[in-house]
Amino acid sequence: MKNPIVELIDSKLQKFDPIWQAENGVGGQRSRYYDKTGVAKYREWRGVHDTMVDYGAWLKNVLSMVQMVGSAPVACLKGFWEYRWMGSYLGTFMFIDRLFEGFRGDELKVAHLNMHAIVQSLTKKIALVLANDKRLGGGPLSDKIVPMDEVLPPLFMAGFPDLIPIPLQTLPEFIICDVDQHIEPYYIDVAESFGLPADVCSRCAAETGVAMDDAFPIFGKAMISTNMPCNASEATSMFQRRRIALPDFPATMAMIHNEPGAHPYSAQVLKDCIAFIEKEYGVEYNWDALFARAKHMNEQNQIELEKWDYMKTPYCSLCGIAETLYRLYAWASVNGQEDYFTKTDRKVIKIMRKSYEKKYEPFGGKTRHRAFLWGPSAVYYTDFPTWIQNCWGINIVLNMDSTMGHNMISTDDPEQAIQDLALFSEKGVMRHHAVGGWDNVNAIWEWAKNFNCDMVLFNDNIACKGMLGVHAVMEEQARELGFYFIFIEHDLEDCRTVSRQDMRNCVNQYMSVVLNEKPLDPTIVEFDDSQAY
Amino acid sequence: MNMKLVAKILGKVSLFGFIGFVATFTLYMFNLENKLIYYVIRPLLNKHYDAQVRDKRIV
Repeated sequence: MKNPIVELIDSKLQKFDPIWQAENGVGGQRSRYYDKTGVAKYREWRGVHDTMVDYGAWLKNVLSMVQMVGSAPVACLKGFWEYRWMGSYLGTFMFIDRLFEGFRGDELKVAHLNMHAIVQSLTKKIALVLANDKRLGGGPLSDKIVPMDEVLPPLFMAGFPDLIPIPLQTLPEFIICDVDQHIEPYYIDVAESFGLPADVCSRCAAETGVAMDDAFPIFGKAMISTNMPCNASEATSMFQRRRIALPDFPATMAMIHNEPGAHPYSAQVLKDCIAFIEKEYGVEYNWDALFARAKHMNEQNQIELEKWDYMKTPYCSLCGIAETLYRLYAWASVNGQEDYFTKTDRKVIKIMRKSYEKKYEPFGGKTRHRAFLWGPSAVYYTDFPTWIQNCWGINIVLNMDSTMGHNMISTDDPEQAIQDLALFSEKGVMRHHAVGGWDNVNAIWEWAKNFNCDMVLFNDNIACKGMLGVHAVMEEQARELGFYFIFIEHDLEDCRTVSRQDMRNCVNQYMSVVLNEKPLDPTIVEFDDSQAY
Repeated sequence: MNMKLVAKILGKVSLFGFIGFVATFTLYMFNLENKLIYYVIRPLLNKHYDAQVRDKRIV
């Protein structure tokens, strides 16, 4: 039974609820923003209960930030002073606000559980990295940290319990691009000032620029690079290893990873990588330590597979970016190594089960289309799934990178475990449906059908030569199979080539001209967020 | 006597808790921390970053 005081406050303040404003034609999500900046005059009013949920989550995230600075105050301050990318992390709260605009009820609760898992993990990583960064004075763990390429899943490194694998590029390049659209263009320009062509993959250009700008934190005695996910990554790995100048092992996983012959090769690469770390760091591999973490990864993957069952229905409280970003971070950066994520998954799946039982539809039941998103996504527009739901009622139920390695890892047989890890790693970030053969790209139709989607969104990285070639073929297939199909052009980490509004226009034009639909919230069809983070 | 002390402590804790809630909720609801970061802190930091001399080279 609702509290009468809460009901009274809700009725008096309803006029500030952007969803109510859009429904009644008196405003919407954009009404409370200053033009261009992405700065909101006030936070979203979601009714007393949901506003308190959001406020509570905000407080928890603030606490994580305070703990980060408190655990290494001098190092954090030095880090902010030294690294341009650290300054961009100050935009985190604006980022989280953008991500969950329009979220209410169960989807808001689940979104914040997932987000806090990321925040608490990332803040600890930042403090650890800065406190042991040799550029800032180093620390007791400087030589225990193993810098590895962020695209190589670190689970196999759990067999070295005294070492700390850190994804090298995540802090200065990948995650931070989600938070601040203007940070990576600086590093891309640095790379291009040395002659790198402007039409290459901007993620790889950005990583190269970070290396050339001498903006990677310095730690470790040896590093692990990789060829994953693609040829551009091979090239940037070469630039990075030359600049960082540590002994390195290139973990070159098989590109045609569907071929049976690929797995023994990839398994051998992992074995050689382990031998390299043993030699460089003077440690011995501990299979029991690996098995302990593999159990967590297996449980997370089992829960993930159960989540997929709910995602196939309209009664799923885990949706859009809350699913995508969490799965990406949990799989790529954490990869079974942190208990917090297993606990978060257990809490989230309980909520999802209850949501399904009571037939709870997220977003007030306003979803009109269910979409499968073929990635990789423009990371300068991480909140794109939120926008597309709020504006056009398109719920992105699953995306390509959520289908990453979900095979179980053996927890008692070392030889089987390494085979399982090879398969697991091959289907890594931006690989499962992007490389490895035409079948992997073509599989998106099967995924879309299995998840009861009527729409496929194809993130069209205009600098990705590999995928440009399949453009017309995908359009033809969408027509034959009867899917609504939208190409969303983007330039991955460079918001200048294709802006967020340009991406929105791809959808706006399709929805209004092809489908003749009206937006749920007209204030967010066209707006200027060019100066926003 | 003990009950009085307990009540006094609880009263003070409640008061500080209430003040803390009002202060943080005001900060949260009016988006004050983001306004400070966007309009003051980041511009100052960006000036510093733009003035930095970095060791830019390929190898």
